[in-house]
Amino acid sequence: MKILIIEDEKSLLEDIKHYLTENGYNCDYSTTVKSALNKLAEYKYTVALIDLDLPDGSGLEIISYIKNNFPEMGIIITTAANSLEDKLNGLKMGADDYLTKPFHLSELNARIYSLIRRRNFSGKNALVFDGLEIDTTEKKVISNGVALQFTKKEYDILVFLASNPTHLITKEALAENIWGDKAEMATTFDFVYSQIKNLKRKLNEVGLKDYIKVVYGLGYKFKN
Amino acid sequence: MKLLTKTNIYSSVATIILFIIGIFVVFNFIFMKFDSEQDEQLLSAKKIIIESLKKGKTPEQFSSNIGEIISIKKINAQTSALNYFKEYEIQKGEDYTKIRELNFQCLINETAYSISVSISLSQDKKIGEYIFAIVALYLFISLFILFLLNRYISSHIFSPFYDTLSKIKKWNIKKNEPLIFKKTHIDEFNLINTTVQELTQQIKTDYKNLKEFTENVSHESQTPLSIISSKVELLMQGTNYNEKQQEYLQQIFQSTQRIYKLNQVLILMSRIENKQFLASEPIHLQHAIQQKINELEDFISAKQITISTEFKTQNKKYINPILFDILLNNLMINAIKYNLDQDGKIIIRLDEHTLTIENTSNIGKIEKKFLFERFTKSSTSSSLGVGLSLIKKIIEAFNWQITYSHKYNIHTFKIYL
Repeated sequence: MKILIIEDEKSLLEDIKHYLTENGYNCDYSTTVKSALNKLAEYKYTVALIDLDLPDGSGLEIISYIKNNFPEMGIIITTAANSLEDKLNGLKMGADDYLTKPFHLSELNARIYSLIRRRNFSGKNALVFDGLEIDTTEKKVISNGVALQFTKKEYDILVFLASNPTHLITKEALAENIWGDKAEMATTFDFVYSQIKNLKRKLNEVGLKDYIKVVYGLGYKFKN
Repeated sequence: MKLLTKTNIYSSVATIILFIIGIFVVFNFIFMKFDSEQDEQLLSAKKIIIESLKKGKTPEQFSSNIGEIISIKKINAQTSALNYFKEYEIQKGEDYTKIRELNFQCLINETAYSISVSISLSQDKKIGEYIFAIVALYLFISLFILFLLNRYISSHIFSPFYDTLSKIKKWNIKKNEPLIFKKTHIDEFNLINTTVQELTQQIKTDYKNLKEFTENVSHESQTPLSIISSKVELLMQGTNYNEKQQEYLQQIFQSTQRIYKLNQVLILMSRIENKQFLASEPIHLQHAIQQKINELEDFISAKQITISTEFKTQNKKYINPILFDILLNNLMINAIKYNLDQDGKIIIRLDEHTLTIENTSNIGKIEKKFLFERFTKSSTSSSLGVGLSLIKKIIEAFNWQITYSHKYNIHTFKIYL
């Protein structure tokens, strides 16, 4: 799956590229509106990640170009915290999702995964691991033919972790993914911790040990 | 006390004192003049009497002239050549009459006489009363005119001054309205006006610069923050760290997150100040509150907080939904965050004009100087105290009002819608 990253901040671009490549995506990039339009005319992409604030214009131009020429392409916009109007305009023009800078790379990855899943680009709607299958259409978790019972929060955490396999997910990123703005509450991390504990216990019960690894102080890792 | 009242008091007191002195001086002067005139009258009477006696008029032939009473007695020998004046009162019924009398002796045609001439001063007393009445009337008229004059001054001459005062009082640096004062012909007032105008212009420029600077800092730090944040996240993916290094990484990451959160709030606040949340729509307050309680259910149940609600209105308010959500969020999060660790309570009341949120807490009363001020921390919390000042900003943007009270370990925030 090919992703076009349009971002003028080279350092940030590098990180996104690095993280997404590690997660199995084929990444291409542009730093200007002009080069992005050239790239789009030449190659075919599954998802475009568009920074709205570019040196030679607005990312909104790129959105309208994509919508006119490749309506099936997924679009995620990234904006600075102060440009709420741009974000709303972007969504109105047909962007599928947005992220406010600075964002967690794991969150970006999860959003791309969820966008691809929603659009059913790959034809499958499940995250499949050794002895564990997460059906994201039905919102079901199946282990060796047995459906596991999770609460909604536990399920959300599992999907977020599973869509970033082998990566360290900080507890901040996890909390934000689940509670958004409300994540700043002092009790959030305790809450995440107890949810993870339940999740691990339930996985352990069906013999799925060591799927979720706790990295002390930092966060969690989903390991196959 | 008003400037004019103060000056009025001074000028009135001065006027009264001047008049009293004036009356005193005038009285004395007039009576001195009277006395000398009467004495002259008596002396001229003396002359006439002597002349008449010299011409051979007998004492019996003298009758009282108008206002003059003459008594002539023959004496054996002249003992004095001096004039004696004296003044005394005689009673006539109920009235006392003042009499001035001249006594003298003279030797005419070998005969010695003792003569007294007296005149009544009852006229003087009346004249004195007239003078007093006139002066008192004059004093009264003067004070009245002074009063009218001051009223005129305050309503006409001082009106530009009061206009300036009220405009300065109403002036708000955030509203960006120019200060335009009434035109006046009085130099001092013009000076005040131009000085105030220059001053506010200067303050406005400084304020704008400062605001822009803060905004720029917040905006410009977004990108570096994004870079730091993502680099640290990538660094954290490494596996070969010892415990110390992992701790460092964690601290860097958490600090970055804190700056980022702070930055977001600052940007939000400046956006509110710049009125970038103008789009309003009718919001059903009760629904919004209930939805907020649902959203925060995890945190409420984690602390086993009991929430009770009391809704007395189905009213909708025409406000910006994003801001109202942030407002509710901050109020509710505070009520949860600073609540008791167990058996806490939150009471939400909504009626036509007020929204009240009460919560139990171990934290003492928030001091007024810390309340709603940016960056004041509660001693038991590590989070930056921007929450309350954000609440205040939004309340201001909505033209609402908020009060805080604390009683029996219950914190109450009351919003007047």
